[in-house]
Order: sequence, then structure tokens, then C-alpha cells
Amino acid sequence: MTEGAGATPSTRPYYATSPSRTAAPQPANLADILERILDKGIIIAGDIRINLLDIELLTIKIRLLIVSVDKAQEMGIDWWRNDPMLTTSEQGLADENRQLRERIEALEAADGSGRGTATEADEKPEARSG
Amino acid sequence: MGETGRYLYVVTRDLDPAALVDLPGLGGGSLELVEYEGLLAVVSSVDLDEYGEEGLRANLENLDWLEGAARCHDAVVQAVAAVAPAAPLRLATICLDDDAVRLRLREWHAALVQILDRVQGRSEWSVKIFTDERRPPAPAHAGGSGPDDERPSGAAYLQRKKADTEARLAGETAALEVVEQVHETLAGYAEATRVLPAQDPRLTRHEGTMLHNGAYLVEAAREPDFVACVTRLVAAHPHVTIDLRGPWAPYSFAMLDQR
Repeated sequence: MTEGAGATPSTRPYYATSPSRTAAPQPANLADILERILDKGIIIAGDIRINLLDIELLTIKIRLLIVSVDKAQEMGIDWWRNDPMLTTSEQGLADENRQLRERIEALEAADGSGRGTATEADEKPEARSG
Repeated sequence: MGETGRYLYVVTRDLDPAALVDLPGLGGGSLELVEYEGLLAVVSSVDLDEYGEEGLRANLENLDWLEGAARCHDAVVQAVAAVAPAAPLRLATICLDDDAVRLRLREWHAALVQILDRVQGRSEWSVKIFTDERRPPAPAHAGGSGPDDERPSGAAYLQRKKADTEARLAGETAALEVVEQVHETLAGYAEATRVLPAQDPRLTRHEGTMLHNGAYLVEAAREPDFVACVTRLVAAHPHVTIDLRGPWAPYSFAMLDQR
């Protein structure tokens, strides 16, 4: 597949770019691109109906923070074990996931309206009279 | 190629078709414009074996395929956004033919015009803030698991615990204050802002913790000021890493109100 001119490999550490570098509209890393073309932009139903939320790869990659590893394993999804992009020790992954779940629970407990609030609040751009 | 469909990348207007020359669509297809009352949809033909419901469902589970499609889609959107107002479509918006594309342009005409008005002459910039793990902002005092700690004695233990907690809270508070200050400052240069969820390090491979993932819609004329402001903020906050990316197509500011 063709990439934009001057594309950087997605394996390049995100962090490696100098903080204030802005010389060219450098291509985003894959996470930035997916975040935008899956979660943002115009949603118009075409003739080919596909619910991106049904795609487990996308669901997990994009919503890694809210889908538990346990649930994914129940669904038979375990590709990350071999995915070089997501190489993390299994224990580290499990620990991190547990911590995240605890944090989400704490957040949900603190905010009575529960999950989904952040996403909804995020729907509309915050208007600024710059 | 079997049956084909029309893949929609982006809706725009007043686009010089020369901007699309030499730019490949998905699967190498050539990019074309479908027009309806001033609106232009940038489309290309795709094989429905690959992009039909069944094919897509399988292909989207393949990271290599997904990455290729995502980068191609983005490259088309960026090329258009560089020369004209752009309302990018979500990945995998596919109609059966040009009439079906025009039908969508007609149905969403007013909303699309509104979005193009909003983003015209403006670009999206991404500013992320990370903790710098190599230079922790509030180094907790050493200890915590040394041999002396195995039998903590009353007051000393409590005192140390209190100090640890205070140091941690101070560090977190300081980081949040930096985020707030950076965001507020940059918002002053932006027409609109969005705070996106922090990305997972397993996706981005970033080090440290992502404290802020902000999107800023900036007028072309104000871009130098915006960039200079980020540079000043980078210098003012050496204990965090501030990562600026852009200009991008205004993905985060081109959304219809409906789902």
C-alpha cells in the first residue's frame, strides 16, 4: 500500500521526535491516524454496512483502555501475544490492565453517571472565541 | 476485479483536480470527484471482494491491511486538506455507485457545508504531553523496600508514608497544573479545541505517561504564533515532554451531530 510522501515507519518510537519539531506535516503514527479515521471525521452510512465496533482488532486497539484482556480472551482474541507492535510481557499487560480496570471502577464510582460520560462530553468541539 | 464500489475519502469544495494527480487510491485505484451542488466527494473504485461487508470484516482484523488502508485514506485526506477545506470521512465509507454518493451529498448537504465553513483555512494540530520518566518531576525520597523497611516502627513508618503520599500528590498536582496551563494557553490561539483520551503506550510505544492528548483547530495565519507558543511552553516546562504534530486535516473538528 502506498504511503504519503516522506512517511516514517510506524515502528519509529513516537517519542523520538524532538518536542518542538514542526518543519513538515510529518505523517502521524498509526495510533494518531487510527484515532482520527476511526473515532473522528464524518460518519455517513454507505451501502456497505460495517460496524467498526464489531471489529475486535479495532475495538481492542482503539479502546484498549476500556476493553479488558480477560474479556478479549473469552472472545478468543489473543493476537497481541504475537503482535510486535504491542510487545509487552504478559504479566505486565495483565498488571496494567488490572490497574486500568481498578482506575475505571474508581472513576465510575466517583462519577455516578458512569461509563460513557467522557465520550459524550467529547462529542462536540469546545467553542473558543480565540 | 469483480464487482466494484465507490470508496469515499473526503468531502470538499473548490478543489483543483490537479491536487489528486499521481496520488493513488486504495488498491492503486485512481481518485475521482463526484459533485453535487458545489460539494465534491473524493472517491475511487474498490473491489467489493476486498471491500464488501464480508471482505472488510476479515481484512479489518488484519493489522497490515488495516495500516495500509488507514495510511492511504489519510494520505488522500491530507493531500486534499492541504489545498481545500476538507471534511474527512470515517474509514470504510463505501457506496455502490456515483448516484449513491450523490444521494449522500444531497442528504447531508447543509451539515457538510457547515463543517467545511468551520474548517476552511484552518488545520488541526496535535499537542501531547508526557511525563518524562528519565527526569521524574517529583523524585520520591529513596527507600521503600530496603532492609530497614521490613519492620517499620510506628511513628517513622507513618511519617515516611505521609511524606511519600505528599510527594506523590504534589507530583500529580504539578503535572495536572502543567497540562491545564498548556491547554489554556494554546486554546487562546485556537478556534476550537478537543481533549482526546490518552493513547495507550502499547499503540504508540511512547515512554512515560501521556498526560494530555489535545487537538487544536488553528487558523493558517495564526500557525506561526501557535508553534512559537508551543516552543515557549516546551522551554517553560522541562520536566514534561510536549510533542507537537501537524498541521493535519481537521479530523477532530469535522463531525456530524448525528451518529
